[in-house]
Amino acid sequence: MDQLEKLKNVWKDQSESTIKFTESDIYNMVHQRSSSIVKWILIISILEFVLPNLFILFSDFESTKTVYQNYGLNDSMLVYTIIHVIVILGFIYLFYKNYKNINAECSVKDLLHNILKTRKTVKYYIYYNLTMAAIIGIHVFYIVFNSEQFINKLPTNTSMVMIWLVAIGIFAFFLFLFWCFYRIIYGFFLKKLKNNYAELQEAE
Amino acid sequence: MSQELEKKFASELEKNQGIIHKVCRSYTNNETAHKDLFQEITIQLWKAYPKFRGDSKFSTWMYRVAFNTAISLYRKSKRSIETTQIYDNLKELEFQDYDDTKDQQLKLLYNAIYSLNDIEKALALLYLEDKSYKEIAGMLGISEVNARVKMNRTKTKLKNILNP
Repeated sequence: MDQLEKLKNVWKDQSESTIKFTESDIYNMVHQRSSSIVKWILIISILEFVLPNLFILFSDFESTKTVYQNYGLNDSMLVYTIIHVIVILGFIYLFYKNYKNINAECSVKDLLHNILKTRKTVKYYIYYNLTMAAIIGIHVFYIVFNSEQFINKLPTNTSMVMIWLVAIGIFAFFLFLFWCFYRIIYGFFLKKLKNNYAELQEAE
Repeated sequence: MSQELEKKFASELEKNQGIIHKVCRSYTNNETAHKDLFQEITIQLWKAYPKFRGDSKFSTWMYRVAFNTAISLYRKSKRSIETTQIYDNLKELEFQDYDDTKDQQLKLLYNAIYSLNDIEKALALLYLEDKSYKEIAGMLGISEVNARVKMNRTKTKLKNILNP
């Protein structure tokens, strides 16, 4: 008989676990706090939705409004804000829909898929924010750098190309730092789940 | 959810807790982590219990939720688990016929299973529990063909660990 088949008999004959819980223990357990990652996915995802927008909300309104006024950016910023609100609501709806599908009764592969899909929603939301920040940044730079007020303040013989390069360089650097930081957290958090999903996907 | 349902759940789980202990023993390597995982699996089973319609066997349903918890949902926490009664099986066995060989073999088997990856652990347990490939495929969410391929690979790996 195959070694593993013999071990099946050992397995079947195994005595009860040395750790044993009573009905009372189990009754108490169901009222305890879950340590499931689903809770953490929700908390971290809410923070990721809220924090980029808190930055906008808590920026200095009067000075920002003055800048927009001086450079004729009021209408553009209004359009960006409307687009942003619509997109956020869309992402929140998608996130909620995917989050509700996370349930421990489906197959192992489906659960892994649903968790990863939920996190992907947030990942695309972050990418959207970075892209919008880049678009708005370039738009604002273009308007400001081409305005008379700005050009008049510049020392003579200043290269506009250098100004663009420096502005875009610093902006891109901060966006890149944010992206790296986010990828590290995201990668670390989901590494085990992604590996398990890949294991199940293999040879399908 | 009603107290009556809670009591029914606690009673059914108490009778079938062996299944969860087998999963816990395979996915953890110390008593604290074992109890912690047991509690998390219990919480997940309780959340899913009202929706359980009996369209699959209770044991199959328990295994599915237990594997999902161990593989995807469980995060180690620092909580301590209080129990009203814990007894040591080995002390009881002192006065009975005690097969040291079988106990050693079982210990080696659990150690070997623990050294597999998360998916392989599930496959090994399902093999030892004599589940059909159809059940295994359904539980893992893969095709039967893939289940057979993965099972053969896991069995080979297990044999190599047991016979270094």
